[in-house]
Amino acid sequence: MSIRLENVVKAFGNPPIEVIKGVSFEVKDGEFVSLTGKSGSGKSTLLYMASSLDNPTSGKVLLQNQDIAQMEQKALHRFRNQHMGFIFQYHYLLPEFTVLENVLMPAIKAGVAEKKRDEAIELLERFELGHSMNYLPSQLSGGESQRVAIARALIMQPRFIFADEPTGALDSANAINVMQIFQEVNRTTGCTIVYVTHDAEFAAMAHRQILLVDGQIESITANKATQPKKKRAL
Amino acid sequence: MLFIALRQLWARKRQTILTLLGIMLGAAAYIAFSGILLGFREYLLDQMVNNDAHVRISAKARLVEEKSFDHVFARPNESLFWIVPPSGRKDSQKIDNVQEWIQRLREDSDVEAYAPQLNVTVLFRKGKVTQNGRIMGIIPSLQTRVAQLEKYVLRGTLRELADNGQKIMLGEGLRENLGLRYGDSITVVNSRGDAQQFKVSGSFSIGNRMTDETLAYVSLNTAQSIAGTPGQVSDIAVRLRDVRKSYPKAQQWSNDESAKVQSWEQINASMLDVFQVQDMTRYMMSAIILIVAGFGIYNILSIVISQKKREIAILRSIGYEGTDILTIFMTQGMLLGFAGGVLGVLLGYLICWQLSHVTFSSPMMKTRQTTMMVSFNYLIYVYGFLMALFSTTVASFLPALKAGKMSPIDIIRGQE
Repeated sequence: MSIRLENVVKAFGNPPIEVIKGVSFEVKDGEFVSLTGKSGSGKSTLLYMASSLDNPTSGKVLLQNQDIAQMEQKALHRFRNQHMGFIFQYHYLLPEFTVLENVLMPAIKAGVAEKKRDEAIELLERFELGHSMNYLPSQLSGGESQRVAIARALIMQPRFIFADEPTGALDSANAINVMQIFQEVNRTTGCTIVYVTHDAEFAAMAHRQILLVDGQIESITANKATQPKKKRAL
Repeated sequence: MLFIALRQLWARKRQTILTLLGIMLGAAAYIAFSGILLGFREYLLDQMVNNDAHVRISAKARLVEEKSFDHVFARPNESLFWIVPPSGRKDSQKIDNVQEWIQRLREDSDVEAYAPQLNVTVLFRKGKVTQNGRIMGIIPSLQTRVAQLEKYVLRGTLRELADNGQKIMLGEGLRENLGLRYGDSITVVNSRGDAQQFKVSGSFSIGNRMTDETLAYVSLNTAQSIAGTPGQVSDIAVRLRDVRKSYPKAQQWSNDESAKVQSWEQINASMLDVFQVQDMTRYMMSAIILIVAGFGIYNILSIVISQKKREIAILRSIGYEGTDILTIFMTQGMLLGFAGGVLGVLLGYLICWQLSHVTFSSPMMKTRQTTMMVSFNYLIYVYGFLMALFSTTVASFLPALKAGKMSPIDIIRGQE
């Protein structure tokens, strides 16, 4: 399942100021892609458009050759629930719910919370959070919270994960840990991961690195050392 | 969605409890206030409907006007001019054609019972103590079918009045004012100064001071004898099978010019006006409660929603639709309304129950010891509950709708 952006423009304000200026690229199934650039280069805006959370002012975002703008809202929500995972810079957990419940939140919406419960526990144990699954988010550290957010993004076994500066609010040890989890998830599940980072080291961990400058793609660099394996393991 | 709504409510316990208290007190206040007002009304209506006639046929007082004597002094084609026009009133304390009326009432299938009465203004005297008042001559067997007199009798029976013409049943206030004991003699003086002795056979207390201090019952024959007008009747009290027909029936009978016919609504028109004022007060109070409870919910949900933007963004990004978010916050508002309504109904009932058990009497008014009349009509409770639910539902809708329309991306960008 691929995502293709065709001549996407995003403008804000009145008079409109273009933040993204006619960007086109494609993310193929199972790819691990980083969007990099300086602050204000439009990388987060591009990520949100690619992930269907935001609409372009002009141009098309195609999900498996289907224009997202033409999709029915209900179908888009279902797709987002079942095939997309989101991770934000400020982990954004729901404070009233335990770690386990937070992870199960997409499954609750899909009505499969009970079915996914064991899977959620496995994920938490895999991320070394097995001991704190009944904790509230307020009892977790920043790194732990971000790992819970990753577990939540993975619970529905999505085809895509979109992460907006997932390491931005973490110390270096936790940041590396999160990036390693991404790599592992991409390698083991074949899930397509697109993430925004301004850290050159983390950007280089991707298969492809898209560099944005002033709302335009400056370069797309392929990293052969981290290219995906052809065989997908689940 | 219920799970999320409940958890969020539970997480902010203090806010939830305070909101619940607001709704509960609003609903309870409405119920207690309505219970008291409607209880008072039911009591008064009961007094009007069951202690008196549904329809009262009474002697008609005719005014003497300039044209009243035209047919006496002038031929049809002549005009009469007065230097000093006649004025005054043809006072008549009697219904002219009683037998016709009784025949008519007897044949009317809507009439359940009727009771002829004679009201006589008199002076009660015991030794040197005198008090003016009124005697009502009744036929006890008929009177008790029209109005529930017996339940107000403190001592003696109405039936005794029919058996013995020299017995009188006094209002309790009147008996006390004259210092009379049961079995004592009392002198009744009519407007012409004729006096008759009676034996106090019993007393009654309707609870209305004016009545209890001025009225006495004797048999109809006795009253006619006091007034010196044998066979005369001043009123016929009529009880209908269906009280709702009182007004149309009175209108229908009013066509007969020989007597004044009034339904209980017409007799008590001023009191019914007071009820309308009461209703206005009640509706205004309901509106205030609705607005206060509604604003409470509206404010709290608006604050909660503004505090929960990030969570809304998360939920939206993981596939929760705008309607899901709306449902979560609407559910919270409605749950508060439902629980507040139920608690309000319980508290309202407790207040009403407590009020209905508090006994009081007024020594100044010399009323007998009684309890407050409180209505326990189930509709008050249904309305109280629905009001709480309705106001909170409406008040929740706007902030919940706003939350449902929030765009996750705008929240993440910090524009909402």
